[in-house]
Amino acid sequence: MIVAAAGGPVIPTFGSGSGSFACERANRLFCPGWVSRNWSSVLWPALVQHIVLTLIAVSIGFVLSMALALVAYRRRWLERPVLIVTSILYTIPSLALFELLEPIPGFGLSRTTAEVALVSYTLLILFRNTLTGLREVPAEVRDAAAGMGMGPTQSLLRVEIPLALPAIIAGLRIATVTVISLATVASLIDNEGLGVPILTAISNEVFKTELIVAGGMAVLLALAADALLVLAQRALTPWTRVKAA
Amino acid sequence: MNNFVEAIRFIGRNGQIPGEPPLPTLVHLTLETLKIAGIGIGLAVAIALPIGVWLGHIHRGSFVAINVGNIWRALPSLAVLAIGVAFLGIGLRNVELALIVLAVPPIITNAYVAVDGVEPEIVDAARGMGLTGWEILRDVELPLAIPLIFAGIRTAALFVVSTTTIAALTGYSGSLGDIINNETSYHLPGVLGAAILIALLALAVELVLAAVQRALTPRGLKLGGREDLATVLAPVVTEA
Amino acid sequence: MRKHWKAMAVSIALATLVAACGSSSSSSTSAPSNTTATASTATTSSSSAASQPGAGKPPITIGDKNFTEEYILGNLYAQALKAKGYTVTLKGNIGSSEITWKAMQSGQIQMYPEYTGTYLTAICNDNKPPTSAEQTLSLAKACAEKQGFTMLDQTPFYDSDALAATKKFAQARSLKTIADLKALGHALKLGGAPEFATRYAGLVGLKQAYGINPTFVPLAIGITYKAIDTGQVDVFDAFTTDAQLTSGKYVLLTDPKRVFGFQNVTPVIKKSVLDAEGPAFADTVNKVSSLLTLPAIQKMNAAVALEQQSPAAVAHQFLAANGLA
Repeated sequence: MIVAAAGGPVIPTFGSGSGSFACERANRLFCPGWVSRNWSSVLWPALVQHIVLTLIAVSIGFVLSMALALVAYRRRWLERPVLIVTSILYTIPSLALFELLEPIPGFGLSRTTAEVALVSYTLLILFRNTLTGLREVPAEVRDAAAGMGMGPTQSLLRVEIPLALPAIIAGLRIATVTVISLATVASLIDNEGLGVPILTAISNEVFKTELIVAGGMAVLLALAADALLVLAQRALTPWTRVKAA
Repeated sequence: MNNFVEAIRFIGRNGQIPGEPPLPTLVHLTLETLKIAGIGIGLAVAIALPIGVWLGHIHRGSFVAINVGNIWRALPSLAVLAIGVAFLGIGLRNVELALIVLAVPPIITNAYVAVDGVEPEIVDAARGMGLTGWEILRDVELPLAIPLIFAGIRTAALFVVSTTTIAALTGYSGSLGDIINNETSYHLPGVLGAAILIALLALAVELVLAAVQRALTPRGLKLGGREDLATVLAPVVTEA
Repeated sequence: MRKHWKAMAVSIALATLVAACGSSSSSSTSAPSNTTATASTATTSSSSAASQPGAGKPPITIGDKNFTEEYILGNLYAQALKAKGYTVTLKGNIGSSEITWKAMQSGQIQMYPEYTGTYLTAICNDNKPPTSAEQTLSLAKACAEKQGFTMLDQTPFYDSDALAATKKFAQARSLKTIADLKALGHALKLGGAPEFATRYAGLVGLKQAYGINPTFVPLAIGITYKAIDTGQVDVFDAFTTDAQLTSGKYVLLTDPKRVFGFQNVTPVIKKSVLDAEGPAFADTVNKVSSLLTLPAIQKMNAAVALEQQSPAAVAHQFLAANGLA
């Protein structure tokens, strides 16, 4: 406790009672004390925000791409323009896209800006995979479905989409890990997600513990999401388990 | 859009802002980006291609080759860069390491699947004709594997170019990412101009690799048909 | 097959629902590392909620820029106001002065702590060096008021840029003032934030005033000390309140021509918002500002930058020790 001269402020000893900060001062690779002190205030909220950002982006992207793919499935002329637009969107560097969207009224430094950009990055992969999956359903199968009396919608819902599921889920896997990766950059715009501790750590004397823990959490999140989707694919398409890797 | 016009003017001025002191030129930054990306892709190919091709040739290690590819493809670029900074500090070494980590998986996986997937009958026929294992690899398996191998290299190349620009966020300066990371000084037209250049750079890399692939593909296998913009830009390997 | 399809349809519907709900809610309160940590803002004031000066007043969003000292300042003001019952949202880590000012102009934030000199040069484009801290504030305030904003009392501490070098480097080349760098010519490596190169209160002004012509090395904020320690740069743009300067390893070169100006902190706020929040608002903010002496801010910077304590926690401890939490 440092009591300043008369009229000055009281300057407490910051963090007293939390133990010494020797590990932080030395900037060692891993400071368990820092992690336990900041888990619930910094790391866990960042993880939750990251998951929410990802779920919203992938869900919206999936719905949009599915709709576009179903329309392009019937009207082949749509495929080329949609592919070109989504390809161009995909190639724009993420930070640039965030910065370009921000000035638009209603966007600003908010989750909306981040989500719109993140959704754009999922469109190419999801659209392309869904369409390819649908197209690869063998003609004989489609004929058999028609032969059984199914109309085009019935055939789509009960035969073609289920058979396209492996390709669709493969696309979902790529889209999800892409969004998880780009969401770290999105933190510059809406200050959410695991990108915040990562980038704060760099600007704060390259604090190694925060870099490794937050970076590691992002990596684990991506791997976990990927694994979950693989399990989902196995559950939803049991007939493909017969296929050898 | 006014910004777009200004962005083109920005590119035309080689990245200088009127009334401001000289800034690093766009030509210089683009070449630097190309250099960094080139080193990353080059090293990744040098490491991953022989391993993937060899494993595919001896039909071993499919679990490792494919799953390592799957797992590593999921890695978030900024996180990998950040962990690299923690261990190696800020600098070119760290960036290149991250680029290699990110580029190796698609190359290994595709190389493995490509060589492993050559029809056994063809390989048997070649063996029946008296070719040694090495000759089979060089004259039969590799040429047939070129399309899928290059699909992997092209995916990796696009990844590397886009990650190079993110490197600016981790403190490494000397690429087009510097402009995108510095909206304060360059404003939106500058950012847009740099983004356009990066997209063009990615396109150029894609086209060059496509040309190399066409040059290496044996005449008999070239299935004709020009490659359209969408095919060239889309770096996805569909995997079921 | 039908079972699976139903499950898929339900999950797609759920996902769309989540997406619709999630994207319509605004989310500016959840910045992890520099928001008021909810655990630490349990109000300790003894007055009941209804009689607090902030009760019933319109909500306000405070922003802060993208470095440690700003995180601390943003938290100090936000927490002190919250303790008095105001509805405050802290939108942290926005970006540089220019970007944060754009957020003010677009109404995304209504108040943020700014450095008087930086406001004058970067926002008002007024490069005439003022002769005192008071003059800097009044010039900046006049400029702000032309656009509907105003400024509250400035802090006792100032945090101006300064060119720093290691003691060894400075002694070896007898460097005392910035003008001494001219002799080192273009071989001198000068490091700073990317925007330093284009600011008058930066490389532009230094070149004009002192005739130096170094090689500029852009550095991200926060790695500057590493860069000087490893020799990546010879001199760099430091801040006078940096925690590392208390170690004695570095010397600051004097700036007699005052290119870096005066840089006390003042909260910039939209005039109409200030009026709506009432007089107690300004009193609270000014009380906080009056406590921010150089030792106070340096100790807080040290706790966050060197010991990696959270800005929110540090701000809370300071306010609590001074009866403002």
